[in-house]
Amino acid sequence: MSSCHHTSGCITCGDEAVAMEVLKTDEERGLALCADERGRRETVEIALVDAAEGDTLMVHAATAIARVDGAPA
Amino acid sequence: MKFVDEFRDAELGRALAGEILAGVEPGRHYKLMEVCGGHTHSIYKYAIDDLLPENVELVHGPGCPVCVIPMGRVDDGIALARQEGVIFTCFGDMLRVPGSDGSFLDAKAQGADIRMVYSPLDALRMAKANPEREVIFFAIGFETTAPSTALTLMRAKAEGVENFSVMCNHVTIVPPLRALLDSPDLRLDGFIGPGHVCTVVGARPFEFIPADYGKPLVVSGFEPLDVLQSVHMILTQLAEDRREVENQYTRVVPYEGNLKALEVLGRVFELRPHFEWRGLGFISQSALKLSAAYADFDAEERFSVPGVRVADPKACQCGEVLKGVIKPWECKVFGTACTPERPIGTCMVSPEGACAAYYNYGRFSQEREAV
Repeated sequence: MSSCHHTSGCITCGDEAVAMEVLKTDEERGLALCADERGRRETVEIALVDAAEGDTLMVHAATAIARVDGAPA
Repeated sequence: MKFVDEFRDAELGRALAGEILAGVEPGRHYKLMEVCGGHTHSIYKYAIDDLLPENVELVHGPGCPVCVIPMGRVDDGIALARQEGVIFTCFGDMLRVPGSDGSFLDAKAQGADIRMVYSPLDALRMAKANPEREVIFFAIGFETTAPSTALTLMRAKAEGVENFSVMCNHVTIVPPLRALLDSPDLRLDGFIGPGHVCTVVGARPFEFIPADYGKPLVVSGFEPLDVLQSVHMILTQLAEDRREVENQYTRVVPYEGNLKALEVLGRVFELRPHFEWRGLGFISQSALKLSAAYADFDAEERFSVPGVRVADPKACQCGEVLKGVIKPWECKVFGTACTPERPIGTCMVSPEGACAAYYNYGRFSQEREAV
């Protein structure tokens, strides 16, 4: 899902985290299979968050840095 | 997608814009800085500034991790990439950042083995797949990105991957903000806080802004409604004569940050005494280096690095753009000698750079006004 064009951008360089839904977790390896809003899939490091299937995570550089909890903004 | 679509609702956006308009004092000029390059990108992409009253001005801050890397660090990276047997890896935007004698892309064209990666873990995988080569990862980014580098180094150490190292350019956001606030030529009324940095460090490190400088800061998400709501919250604080750190992005940012990430950062990194920022000069304790426990993975320890300081090109005004002193289009070379295809300054390289964001989106609304 990486892209590094000057209009679409490089989300890693841009300090941007992307919302992704957890499809499956591998607790032993600390990884999860996730999908973004367009359905693109990626293996994500989940050592820094508590993640379960169906959760939405904020993912940056293939690492989940937060779980979205849905509290009203 | 849940948590995304509802924050792009046009009807709600117009309603919020109406509330903002109703709340501003006529005749008063409000100058708000969006700290993070991700916000700059959203503001131009969704034309958020077109929805704001004319007396609410958004200025761009130093929070684009590519834009703040000085030329000397690029030159040092290229020197490492040219060493025999090295596979040099970095994020995509970094490839096009000019050093004093070309960019990483230019060095690649001249034969250096430089490869784009999406995450540091990709670089580690490359090291494991090429045990006869030395794989160096050029790490950039604020506190948002540093945990990913830290976890990768912990994996490398645990798995005994000896041919992997990191040239660390991770920076921290608070020291440059303090430097900006101390700058005499800058007048700001409030800050749109960097939501994804705060995901890691929390909102507490920004409490000095209202406490010491009397300015409000609202930690903000990146969707259009997030940014509009944050502007509304800042203006409400000003109207009510309050100066606080508030959190608009509560669905993602806990006030105390991500404690696991902070623990990992503390284990792998330590503060550098000082670090040079593009356009801002040297700032004390504003960047990270690998801690003693991870010194074996420090590319600057493992290889010889020139460490030469290079002055920014004279034509480039990135420093003034990064401080919010001038707008991108006020730079002498904007859109002429300096374009995203052939950038002179780093602000034109990354899409989160104020110049590139304005070049790609904002200039069209200015052209509409001119017509």
